[in-house]
Amino acid sequence: MPVTRLLYPLYQLGNPQLRMFRPNWFLTLVRPGKEQPPDTVQFRIPMEMTKFDVKNYLEKIYDVPVGAVRTRIQFGSNKKRNHLNQKVKQPDYKVAYVQLAQGQTFAFPDIFPPKERELAEGSMEQMQEKSMEDEKQRQKLDPRRGGVTEWFGL
Amino acid sequence: MAASSTTGRVLTLCKQFQNAFRISSTINVQSAALGLSKCQFQLYSREPSPFVAPSRCSPLTSVGQCRALHTTISRRGLDEFFDLSDNWGETTVKSGAPWTAKQLRTKSNEDLHKLWYVLLKEKNMLLTLQQEAKRQRVQMPSPERVRKVERSMTRLETVVKERETALRLLQTGEEKGRPGAWRRNVFGYVYWYRFKEYAIPWYMNKRYKRKRFYTPKFVQPHIRLRIEKYLREKARKENLRRQTQAKLKERFPQMKSSST
Repeated sequence: MPVTRLLYPLYQLGNPQLRMFRPNWFLTLVRPGKEQPPDTVQFRIPMEMTKFDVKNYLEKIYDVPVGAVRTRIQFGSNKKRNHLNQKVKQPDYKVAYVQLAQGQTFAFPDIFPPKERELAEGSMEQMQEKSMEDEKQRQKLDPRRGGVTEWFGL
Repeated sequence: MAASSTTGRVLTLCKQFQNAFRISSTINVQSAALGLSKCQFQLYSREPSPFVAPSRCSPLTSVGQCRALHTTISRRGLDEFFDLSDNWGETTVKSGAPWTAKQLRTKSNEDLHKLWYVLLKEKNMLLTLQQEAKRQRVQMPSPERVRKVERSMTRLETVVKERETALRLLQTGEEKGRPGAWRRNVFGYVYWYRFKEYAIPWYMNKRYKRKRFYTPKFVQPHIRLRIEKYLREKARKENLRRQTQAKLKERFPQMKSSST
């Protein structure tokens, strides 16, 4: 996305930290692959962001109290080969582990819960489902035989 | 009884007023984002349709006028990285059209600033949703929303840039935000050099002094050769074009000559 390239002032010791002014950084909250303590949230962040930036971003924009931030850079795999047998590189990304302050906890919710679909009356799908159920009923054994197979007995 | 009820009403009114004051006084760059719920109300109340996710606006618009004064800061925190829980598990989520530049030009700077954060949060939410869908190998509900938000953001950016340029032209008469100058490099090319901040003055800066913003005398013949090469190339192409045209004319006399 073409957003203005900001020229940040040269940092010298004692200067104020950068402000969060109309940032064009996007965080992705991800479900942690390895289990994390309950107060830790995992983000994928742009490479240019620093720990301080993450802290400021969350505190100023989302109003979330942040205790500590740890970051690492995930190496994107370059094992894959294309049809010319050249290596294909997946892009690297930065991962931030944010520890929440004030005893807050966070658990990644299940955002794709299985939902009951209401089928329209007389639609194709409903008829199909009905016929499937009928077929299943027909295939069932006689309950009076008590689970004894068909080939046994008269 | 009646007297007590009136005093109570006056008290609540006062409280609401106080709240409004507190909110309006804290608008600066840092906390503008926190007052988002308020700005959302403003934006929606003017134009309800064109925002990307209309699902967010419902709780505010329903109640009467006193809501404009009395607003609470949104306390959803990290839940803002997810969609509203009603939309979880749906296959499609309704969304409006992206903001057009024309609509954005009618907004004030403050509104644009707030809208940026609204869009930012929306995009973060969508990216989270996208990643989670990828991970669980299910289809993302309404993936076109990402594109819409991106478009709105680029348009907002252009509008802000327009305003900045206009202001700068008025105040300083400079076209570009970053100062610079036309400079010549060692090979005789002239290019726009953008100035940059350095921690030490230029005469102490070895790295800077290593750069050469001049063309030595012995490069002159090479520049001449370069120009010559360019001209010959141009002439050759022109000749080739003319020859092909002539040949075609010879073969197909009825042919219309293509425009030069």
